[in-house]
Order: sequence, then C-alpha cells, then structure tokens
Amino acid sequence: MRLRMMLAGACVTVSLAAQVTDRQLHEANSANWLTYNGSYDSRRHSALNQVSVSTVDTLVAKWVFHVPNATALQTVPIVLDGVMYVTQPNEIYAIDARTGRQIWDYHRVPARQKGPNRGVAIWRDKVYFTTPDAFLVALNAASGNVVWETKLAEASDGYWSPAAPMIVNGKVIAGSAPGDHGLNGFLDAYDATTGERLWRFNPIPKPGEPGSETWAGESWKAGGGNTWLTGSYDPELNLLYWGIGNPAPDFNGDVRKGDNLYTESVVALDPDTGRLKWYFQFTPHDVMDWDAVEVPVLVDAMYEGKPRKLMAHADRNGFYYLLDRVTGKFLHGTPFVKQLNWASGLTAAGRPILVPGVEPSLLGTKVCPAAIGAANWMSPAYSPETGLFYVVAQEGCGIANKSTETFRPGGFQYRATGDVEVRDDSWKVYVRALDLTTGKLKWEQERVGSTGFGGGLLSTAGGLLFSGELNGEFVALEAKTGKALWHFYTGQRITASPITYSVNGKQFVTIAAGSDIMSFGLLK
Amino acid sequence: MKLSLIVALVGAGWLAAQSPKPSNPLGDAPAVAEAGRLLYNRSCTSCHGPDGGEGARGPALDFAGRRYFRVSEAAIFDVVKNGIAGTAMPASGLPDTDVWGIVAFVRNIRATASDLVVPGDERNGMAVFTGVGGCSKCHMIRGQGGVLGPDLSSIGAQASLNRLRDSLTKQRAIPNGYRPVTVTTLKGEVFRGVARNSDAFSLQLLDESGKLRLFEMSELRSAVFAKESLMPYGFDKTLNKTQFQDLLAMLSRQTRTKVKPTLQGENEVGR
Ligand code: HEC
Ligand code: HEC
Repeated sequence: MRLRMMLAGACVTVSLAAQVTDRQLHEANSANWLTYNGSYDSRRHSALNQVSVSTVDTLVAKWVFHVPNATALQTVPIVLDGVMYVTQPNEIYAIDARTGRQIWDYHRVPARQKGPNRGVAIWRDKVYFTTPDAFLVALNAASGNVVWETKLAEASDGYWSPAAPMIVNGKVIAGSAPGDHGLNGFLDAYDATTGERLWRFNPIPKPGEPGSETWAGESWKAGGGNTWLTGSYDPELNLLYWGIGNPAPDFNGDVRKGDNLYTESVVALDPDTGRLKWYFQFTPHDVMDWDAVEVPVLVDAMYEGKPRKLMAHADRNGFYYLLDRVTGKFLHGTPFVKQLNWASGLTAAGRPILVPGVEPSLLGTKVCPAAIGAANWMSPAYSPETGLFYVVAQEGCGIANKSTETFRPGGFQYRATGDVEVRDDSWKVYVRALDLTTGKLKWEQERVGSTGFGGGLLSTAGGLLFSGELNGEFVALEAKTGKALWHFYTGQRITASPITYSVNGKQFVTIAAGSDIMSFGLLK
Repeated sequence: MKLSLIVALVGAGWLAAQSPKPSNPLGDAPAVAEAGRLLYNRSCTSCHGPDGGEGARGPALDFAGRRYFRVSEAAIFDVVKNGIAGTAMPASGLPDTDVWGIVAFVRNIRATASDLVVPGDERNGMAVFTGVGGCSKCHMIRGQGGVLGPDLSSIGAQASLNRLRDSLTKQRAIPNGYRPVTVTTLKGEVFRGVARNSDAFSLQLLDESGKLRLFEMSELRSAVFAKESLMPYGFDKTLNKTQFQDLLAMLSRQTRTKVKPTLQGENEVGR
C-alpha cells in the first residue's frame, strides 16, 4: 500500500542533520565561516591559502546571488559544510555555496522595514537571527522552518536588532538598537535550544547600581547605550567582550553630566551569568555619537617582553587602543587618523585629554573625526603572520551642533542635533596597517574616490587582505605591503565585510555588494 | 469579516477601491454559505464546475484557481447579478437574496481555512498528526517534527479548506522545491529526498534524514526524479472519519503567521 510504503521510506530524524558543535565554534580557520567575524577572537584571519599572493591573478567570479529588493547589504555570510546563509532585514536565504543556487528562503511577516541586518549565527541544527521588530528567530538550518521565536523588546517603543547574534556555550547572545532614540540598550542571552531568556545585561545602570553615579539626575532613563554590532569571546578566560554604543542625547551632554557608563565602553561579561567583570570606557561623556561598538580583536602577543592576552580596538573616536583583556587595563593608545582635534592625547589610564571648546555648540564647531567616525561597523582584521592590525580608517571632520531637544517616547530621534559633514577633498578613506602593539602606521592604501567607509576587511594565510570599497571595487591587497594585487569592479556599493571558505578543497572569497552576494574562486 | 482582514494586508489604496465593508444582508453563518452552494450548483454549473471548481465554459472560482479581481462582497454581487459585459459570464437573473447566498458561498471557497469554522477536535487532530497519521515525520508545526515536507505552522492561514482537503486525499501536482529525487554519485552512493532546487548544473537535495546534500551534476551518475510527491494521500480512507475531521480542524487553525494568501492578480494593472 502506497501510504505505508512512503512512511517506511522516510524515517526522518532531524538529529542527523549537519550540525555545528561547540568545538567547531572554538576552532578558527576551518573551511567554514561560522561566526560574524570568522572566529571568536574576531581576527577575520583565515588559514586558507589556495588564493594567495601568487595565485590571486587568476581569481574570477564564480557566481552571483541576487537578493530581491535589497539595497546596501551589510550581511556577513555564514558558511557550514557548503551551505551559505545570508540575510537582509526580515529575510534569510540558504544558498549552495559552490553554485550560488538557493536552497530555501525565509520571509518574516509582517515585515517592518528597518535595516540593515548583519547576518545569522549557527549552532547545532539551527540558524538564528534578529529582526526589525526586535525578535530573535531560530530556524532549522536544513529547511528554514521556524523552530521558535522570542521577543527581545517592544518594537513599538522603537527597539530593533540589526547585529548578527553570537553563540556561546549554548546561549544566543543578542543585542539592541538604536542608541539615538533615547532607548536604553541591552545585551541578552537566550537558551539556544528553547529560546528562554537567561540573562540581560543593562549597559545603563539603574539608580543604586555601580556606575549610576555617572548619570546626572534622571538622565539615565533615556541614556542609550545599545549593542548593534557583534562582539568577541575568549573561551579560555570565559569572557564575552561587547562594545556599547553612544549615550543619548547624542550631541548635547549638558543634560547627562558625568561619564555616562557604560556607554562608549567595551564590557567584559561572564557569559554564564551576564555579570560585568570589567569595563573600559573609550569616550567618557561622549557628545559626538562615537559608538564604541567597533569589533574588539583578541590577540595573544608579546607586550613589553611578556606574553599577554591583548585586545586591540580601533575606536570611532579616532584612537587605536591596546588593552589587557584579562583585567581591562589600558596598555597603549594612539590616533590612527591624522584629523583628530578633540583630544590632545590619552592619559596613562587611557582617558582622553580633551581640547577645550572642541565639542558641539549652538552655532557649530569643527570636530574631527566627524560623528560618523574614524572607524565604524566595517570589520577590522589581524594577521598573525604579519603581526599587523588592519583597519578601515576615515579622515574627515564635521561641523557639530547641539540643541536642547527633549526626549519623546515611542522611538523618535533623540540626538539634540548632529554634525554637518563637508565631504570635500579632505575626506578620505584608507585601509591602514598598524603595528599591533605600538599602533604605528606600517602602510596605508587609499580607497581612491571613496568619501565614505565602504566594507570591511579579511586577512588570509595566502598573504592577502581583501577589502570592499564603497565605490564597488573589491580589492586584494598584499597583506605585508598594502600593494593592490587584484581587483574586481562589482558595479554596486560595498558596505559589508568579506569572508572566505572552501568546499571540496576549493577556496572561495565572498562579499555582499549592493543587492548581490558575489563569490570568487581560482579559475582552475 | 475575515476576508476583509486579508485584503487589508494587500494595500490601503487598493482596499479603498474595493470597498471591504461586509454588506451581505444574510450574514456569514455557515448555513448561508451552504444554501448558496446548493443554489450555485443548480444555477451556474453549466459553465463553472461543481462547488466552484473549474468547468467546461467557466473558470474555477476558488482562489487557487486563477487571478481574481473581484474580492469584495459588493464586487462579487455585481458580477453575479449583472454578469461581465463582453464575456460569456451572464447576468444570473436570480432574486437578490439568492445572489447574496451565492456571494456567501463564493467568499467561503475563497477564504483560507482559518477564516472558516471547521468542526473537529484540535487536540485530537494533533494526536493524529504526531501519531497514527505519521505526519510529523515529514512536517513541522511550531518547531516540532520533520523537515522533508513544508512547515505547516501557518497552513490554516495560507491554504483554503479545499486545498487542505485535497492535499490529504488526492494526488496533486508536485510543487517547486519538493520534487522527490534519487541521486547516485559517481562513487555509487545513493541518496533519496526532495530536490529543493535543481538545474542542468547542480542539485540541492534535502535527504530523507533531513540533511542537505549539494551536488554538481558532473558529480552524479544519475538523478532520477519521481513523478509522485512524497506526500501520501488517501487519508480520508486510511484514517477514520473522526480522525480525518479532527486533523483537518487542527490544520485549519494553524496560523502562527498570518500570511497574505496569493490571490493571483492582486495589485496587477490590466491582465
Ligand atoms: C454561460 C456560462 C456561464 C454561466 C452560466 C456562469 N458563468 Fe460565471 N463566468 C463565466 C465566464 C466565461 C467567466 C470569465 C469572464 C472573464 O473572462 O472575465 C465567468 C466569471 C465569473 C466570475 C468572476 C471571476 C473573477 O474573475 O473574479 C464569477 C464570480 C462568476 N463567474 C460567478 C458565476 C455564478 C455565481 C454563476 C451562476 C449564478 C455564473 N458565474 C454563471 C461563465 C459563466
Ligand atoms: C513522507 C513524508 C510526508 C508525510 C508522512 C506527510 N507529508 Fe504532507 N507533504 C510532504 C511533502 C514532501 C509535501 C510537499 C509536496 C506536495 O505538496 O506534494 C507535503 C505537502 C503537504 C501539504 C500541502 C501544503 C501546502 O502548502 O499546500 C499538507 C497540508 C500536508 N502535506 C499535510 C500532511 C498531513 C496532515 C500528513 C499526515 C496525515 C502528511 N502531510 C504526511 C511529505 C509528507
């Protein structure tokens, strides 16, 4: 009988499906690209070396996947065993990573359009992403079936969530946006199997909690401090590192006197409890919207003659920082842009030495870097082979204003004005290679013609640094020297960071450009 | 009324043009639609098919059938009363109460299953789904079950009751992404499952164990596509009457996401 036959023929057990284990997440540099920045240490350095300094001249386009209705994709593809997952707000596509052919797609209904979305996280048999209406959704990785969804926060309050989540010890770590609406941010952990919330870290302490003394009066209530980029994790120390965004209102600090902890800080959390272990604040009492969410890169290296567990961070405020990631102690800091006028340097503890008067004013003050920053969401990279830290650095100033705008609930802007960017000849974007421990510039490559950041960076054991430019050029630089060895004009604006993976021994390099995912491999 | 809710998702401008106000003076009780069905079968099946299906000289009226431009009660009333000028669709000549009865019936067959009152015990239906029906081996509802067939968590909001019933009882055309296939690799390994996608150069297989297997055609000795879906049918015979009705009722209430049903022709300009 037909029915019985079919049932017998299909003994489906989901547990047999391709799965990401915790061990795989801990191993960097496999054929897969399993986390937003390729590995928990966020170095974006791959051990793949088929595409190398000597072979890159035969790198050709292998396939293009068009994401319908997309613009300015920021998705970082995740690849597991030849299956790639890419996103745009409310949507996930599973793609055959060798051919670019679609396997399944997921469209969330009802669709609230708020972008960007930066990608999925993957663990066991599920993929996870967050949405414009502030949900965390878990889907079966093989079929795209929704397994569960959990509300992070009230979308009607103005919350949403653009960052790719991160999986640590069976927990999904997910954050919030935006910081510019006076909404206090959070960083949450959810049980990756059930979707149950396990803890919430509040970057803005409530009255009585440590740090609350850094907020004048009631200002903490509309304090900001969101978590819109993915952080890093050290499995040995079992510490989660996450960058916290700007305080609100962004440009007028008069109503929130104090350092405004833990905005503009990197926080080190116990991923099992969400408890704060240490913090380091890059821009105390920020008035320039310089979110400190830029990816913290974890490196073990010699520092002053001793092996140290370090964290390197190029901040939106224009300084490059080196911290001890065990304790959070500031070790070293130096500007990585030339146009920096708001601070004359950093104290021994790493606090900026302010230049009086260089801050937003009623009539406008020239502040460098501009609010958009010297660095932003485009990921940096670190190569253990060159010992260099690579960053997309933007040179540019803005005329910053402030006003006395008051907070209005319901998800409205609460910036108390902003800055006017004069994107003239002085605005330039560079890929800069910094010595890890000193921050000294080793080389730079100008993104000629770009007056905006563009995409992030990828370092490979092939001695290459891949770089996506805003004007559409996808470029391979020699990691040692910065010399451009290869380029491909994608015809679309690039605002995402590249990745690499391999299937059946063939290496691919992939980047989202405009509305397309483009994958490259060697001709032969 | 429920259907106007669906229409609301389509777009405000379009909605205004189609006047979604419930206007059927007979109301929306199941008995009204049932009386309308009998009237329809008597008056209209010289052209349209019985129960709103496709006929020899008239299109199917249930929404999986074709593109519809008349969705509101008023628009359907107008067509049935006055016909469509320039086409074979005649004015019915029926009294208004009869026309309204038919309108209730037409709306009913176009509604999604969740818009209707489908009698049956939902809990028992779920027990059939996971037990004797064997459905959960291939289908997931709210995170529980297999992945070879489509997720049914919102099927009540996506499918008409007719489509649901047909899925369980009749052999149907295989939808895209679910073509059963058996592939043999050059090494002689054999895998069975559904082709989520395929073209002349590659094939993306979801195998019987729920694992994705991705092939370039050059790696395969053969890929043999089956002509019949993996979806079993004949459940109206293999399940008893209560089990079948309860299963149907349970499926009709699966509405995790209110999906906009694909009324073909929506928002299109011209034909
Ligand atoms: C003589 C054949 C004939 C008879 C009898 C007939 N129809 Fe039709 N009907 C058609 C044809 C042909 C069309 C398609 C017209 C077109 O091309 O737009 C149609 C269209 C329709 C439509 C519009 C479908 C849409 O596009 O939304 C409805 C509703 C409809 N018929 C209902 C009925 C009802 C109810 C009856 C009985 C009272 C009936 N028809 C009797 C031939 C017929
Ligand atoms: C052997 C696997 C298998 C089993 C067992 C199975 N199905 Fe299916 N089902 C499928 C596949 C594959 C499809 C998609 C292809 C198709 O529609 O023919 C499908 C399609 C369907 C659809 C149509 C969905 C739509 O979007 O229209 C429904 C409804 C459905 N199944 C319900 C059930 C129910 C209820 C049971 C148990 C009584 C069941 N299925 C058992 C594999 C299965």
